[in-house]
Amino acid sequence: MSPQQLNMAAVGFRNWARALSKGKQPGFSALFSQVRAASGPSKGMLPGPYPQTPEERAAAAKKYNMRVEDYEPIPDNGEGYGDYPQLPDRSQHERDPWYSWDHPDLRRNWGEPIHWDFDMFIRNRVDTSPSPVAWHTMCKHLFGFVGFMLLMFYLGEKFPSYQPVAPKQYPYSNLHLERGEDPEKQPEEVKHFNI
Amino acid sequence: MADYREAPLATRPKTLDPAEYFNLSLDQRRAEEERAGLRAQLKRQYQMQLNNPHRKELIEDPALTRWVYARTNPYNHFRATKKTSLLGGLFGVVPLFVLYYVLKTDRDKKEEQIKAGTYDRKFKLAY
Repeated sequence: MSPQQLNMAAVGFRNWARALSKGKQPGFSALFSQVRAASGPSKGMLPGPYPQTPEERAAAAKKYNMRVEDYEPIPDNGEGYGDYPQLPDRSQHERDPWYSWDHPDLRRNWGEPIHWDFDMFIRNRVDTSPSPVAWHTMCKHLFGFVGFMLLMFYLGEKFPSYQPVAPKQYPYSNLHLERGEDPEKQPEEVKHFNI
Repeated sequence: MADYREAPLATRPKTLDPAEYFNLSLDQRRAEEERAGLRAQLKRQYQMQLNNPHRKELIEDPALTRWVYARTNPYNHFRATKKTSLLGGLFGVVPLFVLYYVLKTDRDKKEEQIKAGTYDRKFKLAY
């Protein structure tokens, strides 16, 4: 976590402890007091509810450092986005690597509005940049090769093909003495070949 | 490059966007200039703070503060709609019942097998 996030967490924790120790509401409801420390940003600078009027839209655009025409809040479907702007779903991989960003590893400038899923789009994670070869070509090549290999191996299992083999033939009358049989007894003649 | 087709889930690079080449209307240019103006303002603010020799504390990024606040406080603006109720039920309520049912039937079957003496203990270490 960055230092300012730790600061924020510390402020929140201190606030919570203070509310518990001398809050007007007793017990559990003291945890949900609407009191916030004055050291952080003012209420107007934090995200708020979905903007209903054009004035609210303009104010929200100004708050997020965007042009009024560019500012488009995430559609309000009850999922809790509020007035947060809908930015293009582009990963940080796609940003210019040679421009002098304020934060080069994140490829982001200070104060720039952050995408809701920014932590997904960092350069260690999801990459939306264009692929060097067209998608349909990649799919065709991969599935074509894998499918072909699977088919061939299946056919190889179904129709095996190998050098012709026969049972092993042993000399000395089928190793009569080595197999421990009676040396006096005459072994039976086994013919392995026809000339 | 004229027949470049971007991948379904990827994007077309800005340098191959035909709008960049053909859409040179004054409105577009004015919009780009306004955006550049906003960017320059933010850059200036950051550089002033960065190069200030009397600065002792860290430079706070309000955009980051807003992002963190928005991500950690979605319930302030949460509403129970059809979709949110469905998702909540699907992820929160249904797994409880499904897991209970699945585990219970599996364990009951095993218990029956043990009682009948047909349970096959694979990988048993001790007799």
